[in-house]
Amino acid sequence: MNESRPGFPGRSRDWVPDEVARLLARVARPGRYAGGEFNTRSKPGATPRIVLSYPDVYEIGVSNPALQILYSRINDATPAAAERSYCPWPDLADLMRVAGVPLWTLETFAPVPDCALWGFTLPHELCYTNVLEMLDLAGVPLHAAERDGEDPIVLGGGPAVANPWPLAPFFDAFFAGEVEDHVEALVVALGEESREGRLRALAAVPGVWAPGRSERPAQRQVFMGFSASEPVLRPVVPVLEAVHDRAVIEVMRGCTAGCRFCQAGMWYRPVRERPVEMVVASADRLLDETGCDEVSLLSLSSCDYSGVAEALTRIRGLRPGLRVSLPSLRIDSAAESLARFAAGQRGSLTLAPEAGTQALRDAINKGVDEQQFTEAVRATFEGGFTGLKLYFMIGLPGETDDDVLGIAGMAAEATRLAKEIGRGRARVSVSVSSYVPKAHTPFELEPFAGEETLRRRQQLVREATPRGVRVAFHDVAASVVEATLARGGPGSDRLVEEAWRRGARFDGWSERFDVRRWEEAAMVTGIVLGEPSPERASWRDAVDARLDTRFLDEELERSRAHERTDDCRDGTCAACGVCAGEVGMDLLA
Amino acid sequence: MSWWLVSFARRGPGRYLSHLDTARVVQRTFARARVPIALSQGMRPKPRLSLPLPLPVGAEGGDELAVVEVADGTPADAATLEALRAASPVGFEPFRIVDVGERRVRPQARAATYACVLDGDAGAVVAAVERYNTTKDAVRERVSPKGTRRLDLKEYAGSITATPGDGETRLEFTIRHRSDGSARPQELVDLIADWAQVEPTMRGLERLRVVWKDVPPAG
Repeated sequence: MNESRPGFPGRSRDWVPDEVARLLARVARPGRYAGGEFNTRSKPGATPRIVLSYPDVYEIGVSNPALQILYSRINDATPAAAERSYCPWPDLADLMRVAGVPLWTLETFAPVPDCALWGFTLPHELCYTNVLEMLDLAGVPLHAAERDGEDPIVLGGGPAVANPWPLAPFFDAFFAGEVEDHVEALVVALGEESREGRLRALAAVPGVWAPGRSERPAQRQVFMGFSASEPVLRPVVPVLEAVHDRAVIEVMRGCTAGCRFCQAGMWYRPVRERPVEMVVASADRLLDETGCDEVSLLSLSSCDYSGVAEALTRIRGLRPGLRVSLPSLRIDSAAESLARFAAGQRGSLTLAPEAGTQALRDAINKGVDEQQFTEAVRATFEGGFTGLKLYFMIGLPGETDDDVLGIAGMAAEATRLAKEIGRGRARVSVSVSSYVPKAHTPFELEPFAGEETLRRRQQLVREATPRGVRVAFHDVAASVVEATLARGGPGSDRLVEEAWRRGARFDGWSERFDVRRWEEAAMVTGIVLGEPSPERASWRDAVDARLDTRFLDEELERSRAHERTDDCRDGTCAACGVCAGEVGMDLLA
Repeated sequence: MSWWLVSFARRGPGRYLSHLDTARVVQRTFARARVPIALSQGMRPKPRLSLPLPLPVGAEGGDELAVVEVADGTPADAATLEALRAASPVGFEPFRIVDVGERRVRPQARAATYACVLDGDAGAVVAAVERYNTTKDAVRERVSPKGTRRLDLKEYAGSITATPGDGETRLEFTIRHRSDGSARPQELVDLIADWAQVEPTMRGLERLRVVWKDVPPAG
């Protein structure tokens, strides 16, 4: 028996301040709020100090690729220091209010409101109340008009900036598009002496729209240096279990498959690809930097990456037992891709036919036919996967009950193949979400299906789906709120604020979402929840997505005629308007 | 293949790691330092790694122990230790490696000494500690999904030292680990807080030292 050596001195920045420690002693999962991850940066004394936030709980936000890019770029390539803060779960938020402790950053535990710039990435509409919650917990005035020189400038970015109106009064400015080329300009703008000067300088940066200040819409920025620049090589790696626990390499940006419902497909155009050599070298470096045993090749449609086969083969050879995953599989190329990389796989795979019949799939320009679907399901089970999740939407424009019943038919076919190939071990499940029309898509002014229709069609799917297939539905009430905000115009911010004042937070979490708060807010503001469609595309007053409106109109007409539009990377230009001047596709030779 | 005993400190932000999180940090630190941990056999290989005495969430530990099987002939020397330290995150600090050879060791804790701070009326807390130190038994119920168990805390922790401060009291106590189990620091603190009628929220819990059985002496 021997007695071990007592106490070992910690490093100076290890210590958690007492006022924070007192709170963390009383909450669930305190590690969410304490940082200490691999590859965090420490730049004591650096200015300006920038805080980056994702308006959801740590486990969701920590892996967000956009924040990883910004965190690396700001800390490694500018004099500024970037720190992070995520939305506290209500147990901590309550204690912070009682104790009067403002929101802090994970790197230094310094109060968030002491920073020069507070940047939020805005992923979707159901996190908007969390933005207000974080502003309030930091002690930053909710409305930009009430802020003074002591307050940080609050800047929003991310895909939800496609329609910034529901958050417009809460932000000093928004950035539309890809920020990589403009990080330095944003940092320089913060060097101006007065708040007014900083705002004026920020508003002059391409892509920035400052509500009440900008005279014209911000043009969405496209990072044409994507292919030549390395992906994030020293990402923050969480020490808690996060939703994504793997090394991520963004191999391609943009998708031109042209799915008419897909906002990301329109927003991130054009397609740009990174060279295979760079992808493989990055994977090698990332494995060292992260300690992960899985590499994920990230993009909107990784099977469409021109170098996917070579990259998969070479990355697998880097380390024994290394797993490589493709997070987004298109069914029309899935069978071929699965044959390449799925042999010996376990676990489950998700395929997204989106709609139940060929006619509706043609209408939404989802290039999948029944034969491709059958081949993909076969390849899934033959590749060793024991679970298959099929993802569909209901409420698509032009949808009929027959289209909805087609979902059950496809589930039945998949189940038959699961029994035939999977020999009883394979399972099929179906996930059905409600379609919400989004800004800057061909369906941007199409009616939202509405609560009654969605509930009835959920019931149709439920009754027609074969026994043994698990069916999960997205909460219709949450979709109604999402639909209201996705196309909300000036004044829709009042709905967000009233709902937050009534306790709405974490609306994307089913256990936290309470539609009554939104219904009360709607009554107070006179805004109709789930209104079928807006009168006009007010988002274009704020953001120019580079899309030609004639292209959107023609795509809508083709949808109504059930006509498909080819992927422009195959050589047929659909004249969407994005490729102009220096902006264009950048594919591997 | 050889088994290593890796001593490490878990401090600062690292105190909020769970047992599984701590194991993941050890695993990832080794991977980043390119010191491969051996994997178990079977369909789903797992790293051959264990932490013989879990540290509660919220607790710091100055001298914690990980038992790791290392796959190749990596020496357990100063250079390897430095590589592990360089690869570790803030709050996790390896400071000693002992190569114990090919035979797996299974260290067992015999006793662990803890310190923590309890907020509230220091006089009341000191009185509660005196009551504890003089009482013959202190039976509490432990409720878990497996059922309810009665345990006498005095069998595991004979006495507590209390150092009063301004509105807070520092407690220090040693908990014995026996073949039938052990008491938890929170159970002792709950009892003292109950008797002192203060909030049972402890701060700054730290495991100061552990007495091990079956651990070869360092170096």
